[in-house]
Amino acid sequence: MTKTLETVREILARKYSLPEESIQPEATLESLKLDSLDLVETLFEVEDEFNIRVPQDGSINLKIATVQDIVDVVNRLVAQRKPLRLAGGH
Amino acid sequence: MITGLGVISPLGHDPDTLFSGLMAGESGIRALTADGPRGPYSTVAAAVEFDPASYFPPGRKIDHLDRVTRFALAAAAEALADSTIRFTDANRRRSGVALGTGMGAANALEETYVQLLQRDPDRLKPMTVLTAMNNAAAAHVAIQHGLGGPNHTFSCACSSSAVAIGEACRQIRHGYADIMVAGGAEAPLTFGFIKAWEALRVLAVPDRADPSASCRPFSKNRTGLVLGEGAAMVVLEEREAARRRGARIYGELAGYGSSNDSAHITKPSVEGQAHAMSLALADAGLTAGDIDYVNAHGTGTVLNDVTETCAIKQVFGTRAYQVPVSSTKSMHGHLLGGAGAMEFAIALLAMQRRAVPPTAHLDVPDPQCDLDYVAGRGRSDQDLRGVMSNSFAFGGTNAVLVARATGS
Repeated sequence: MTKTLETVREILARKYSLPEESIQPEATLESLKLDSLDLVETLFEVEDEFNIRVPQDGSINLKIATVQDIVDVVNRLVAQRKPLRLAGGH
Repeated sequence: MITGLGVISPLGHDPDTLFSGLMAGESGIRALTADGPRGPYSTVAAAVEFDPASYFPPGRKIDHLDRVTRFALAAAAEALADSTIRFTDANRRRSGVALGTGMGAANALEETYVQLLQRDPDRLKPMTVLTAMNNAAAAHVAIQHGLGGPNHTFSCACSSSAVAIGEACRQIRHGYADIMVAGGAEAPLTFGFIKAWEALRVLAVPDRADPSASCRPFSKNRTGLVLGEGAAMVVLEEREAARRRGARIYGELAGYGSSNDSAHITKPSVEGQAHAMSLALADAGLTAGDIDYVNAHGTGTVLNDVTETCAIKQVFGTRAYQVPVSSTKSMHGHLLGGAGAMEFAIALLAMQRRAVPPTAHLDVPDPQCDLDYVAGRGRSDQDLRGVMSNSFAFGGTNAVLVARATGS
């Protein structure tokens, strides 16, 4: 399991008292009984955890349907963040 | 008909504790030291000792519920339990909520400013809007109990919850609902809100020798109001439905009068207040002779107490000197938007228990306040056929509720 998936699972399990084994990558948020407001709250925690910012324009969160979608978003934003940080250091 | 009652008050969280404390002249006002941006600061206030664990089951998320919403939920749950109403799919849609609050989610709002201005201007919790919106408390009461009828929040400063109860009564009278959970809540004891009230120069000078005696309505040495917090909710039920199910009945909400001074944003008006009292009596089909107790607005400000005394005289005539009038704010503080509901609940308890709670700390008579304010201790064995609860607000909104003992 990737580190990102592990962390996202931990966040969801803690926030919504879900058994970790139910939080499979392909699980839809709907199947976990999470609604759009839960997703917004989850993204807030994910942002803090990974030191990223999910854009506000809806381009990403509107497309999130599964746990893996969250993981993909995190990985993409983390990858985008690193070069910026390096650049900022020079 | 009023068939349930719940309170979260500075004097306790059940009607018995609250009322016995009031009768003994006990004050919930205390010296309060709280955290401010430049270290601790002190004031006097009537704070509520509130343990959420007593009202919310383990595991329930309450981070997004402001203190005011927690108070409202706790008081509503108590009131509904007290009423012993059983909700069904049919009556839920005929059951609503009317809630008054003046300052709303003060704690959440203040936290928002601290976060944005002191910590991170780019980062607020996703639930901020939903926590801070003024109708959050009423909404959560409906969600918790599945009440699908009208759901309204009233905000008119210190009259808010009296208006909520009056308007809830109209929902039932006019056939829009059969059951209304109505009342108010306030949790204004934050640094910013206390400073704002201080700035208005209406807060009482703390009594250094005895902070609990800082609020002295109708006393010559009164210096202002003391902020309080808490919630009170009542269950209003359509008369026949309440009787059919054999509900225990506190009394009948017989009359509601609402007016505006339409003159000044703070200065109270005898005419405006008297108008609201007269409207409430007329609405109830009663006269001043039918009222045996008035729970006064009685804030303890110089201006309010004289104005209210004059307004009572205008409406009650010579009977003004015979009817006991007390300000329980001397003990539970000023709950602002929650005050009307708390004091209406106290007036109901007075009628039910045949006892008149006192005005505490009325030590020095004021020639301009010359009614019977029940100074010091309460009176038992009183036959109260009808009671009146006055609420007057900044902004000029006056709201008066009249309840009648059932069977009278």
